Amino acid sequence: MYQTENLHLSADMRISDVILNNPYLILLLEHFGVDVPLQEKTVTDVCLENKINTELFLTFANLYNGVQYDFKDTFSYNEVLTVINYLRNSHRYYSEEIYPNILSIIQQMNSADNRKEMVLVERFFNEYFSEVTEHLNYENNTVFPYITGLYERIINQNQTDGGKKYSVSEYKDHHNDIEEKLNDLKSLLIKYLPLKNDQPIRRKLLFSLFELEYDLNIHSQIEELILIPLVAKMELHLKGAK
Amino acid sequence: MKRDIHIIIAEPAAMIFEGLAAIFLKSGLKPLVSKADTLDEIQQLHLKRSGDIVVISPGLIQNNVKSYQTLKNQFENTHWIGVVYAYNDPNLLALFDAVITISDTSEEIVAVISKMLNTLNPKEPDVLSDREIEVLKLLASGLANKEIADKLNISINTVITHRKNISQKTGIKSVSGLTIYAVVKKLVTLENLSE
Repeated sequence: MYQTENLHLSADMRISDVILNNPYLILLLEHFGVDVPLQEKTVTDVCLENKINTELFLTFANLYNGVQYDFKDTFSYNEVLTVINYLRNSHRYYSEEIYPNILSIIQQMNSADNRKEMVLVERFFNEYFSEVTEHLNYENNTVFPYITGLYERIINQNQTDGGKKYSVSEYKDHHNDIEEKLNDLKSLLIKYLPLKNDQPIRRKLLFSLFELEYDLNIHSQIEELILIPLVAKMELHLKGAK
Repeated sequence: MKRDIHIIIAEPAAMIFEGLAAIFLKSGLKPLVSKADTLDEIQQLHLKRSGDIVVISPGLIQNNVKSYQTLKNQFENTHWIGVVYAYNDPNLLALFDAVITISDTSEEIVAVISKMLNTLNPKEPDVLSDREIEVLKLLASGLANKEIADKLNISINTVITHRKNISQKTGIKSVSGLTIYAVVKKLVTLENLSE
């Protein structure tokens, strides 16, 4: 975590102050679909305006600030669509913005000075990117529809079996792989790859990797600590209704 | 950064729970902190996600010593730390692996936890041994664990241990990442790499 202090957010704080304290929360706002300028609005104002549950918003925001509790039974499954929407938006940020961005920086480094290590780094990143894309697609096309289906069955009191299941353990393995390779890349850049008067672009690359890592880390926490328990709750609810 | 450490705090007093949680969250251990109010809840949390440390009020086990011990036996890798802020029967305190007391400083409390987790052990120097370099070279040239084991006449478990140590020392876990490391360190040349 890269902020200097763990500010614990509350509903009456001005959202602009919250961002000034930890600019990474701009990503949180984007993933929730909230736009600047924020003027003098408080967290509560912004949540009301955008129809977001304030507790959910604060929980996510506090995760960004490094404050992590166990959230068992904190949220009702009525929040599940907001959570999924948030995750879909962050997927878009990964696949359309930050990953292509990092790839283009690596390509720039490569074309400026064609070193054999950088060719390998580019290959490494390409492989990594396609693994990540595969995982994001899996979530978008399999996991999220499954969860939305559960929600609809609860709302419509429909007890037919939803069919396709997914495995939570597989989910967690994917996350570990994604974070592991990102770490490898950072270690290589900081510790081992030789310098060739390319500090500015290496810095750019590192900062982008940190930005990605920061958001990815919160992303997997949201999935593991909030989404998965919600899904378990919904599955239980449907079972009980039978 | 992965959060591998899970601390369950079983303490009914809000002041003490919040205080301990804040100390742990600020400690640099990067733990996941959970709250439990009963032994049953500890067990449920445990089953969901194995916990490393349970920080528990002696009051919770005073009249439940049997269930506490059953729980303790069930999760043998977990450390049980008592939170002492009143007089407690020494026999009761003896049931914990360690205790923290109300007068401890944050540093002392974190030290008790770190000691339990063995994070205070000095790190080994990050220099690869000759054997590790050999394993790394073969790994970079595309061999699988089994092939490396055959080639070096060692067991597959030994290969895995070497790989763990290599990753710990270099900070790189994936084979493709280690391959780049090996090229940078001139342990292998690009021509030796399998495509």
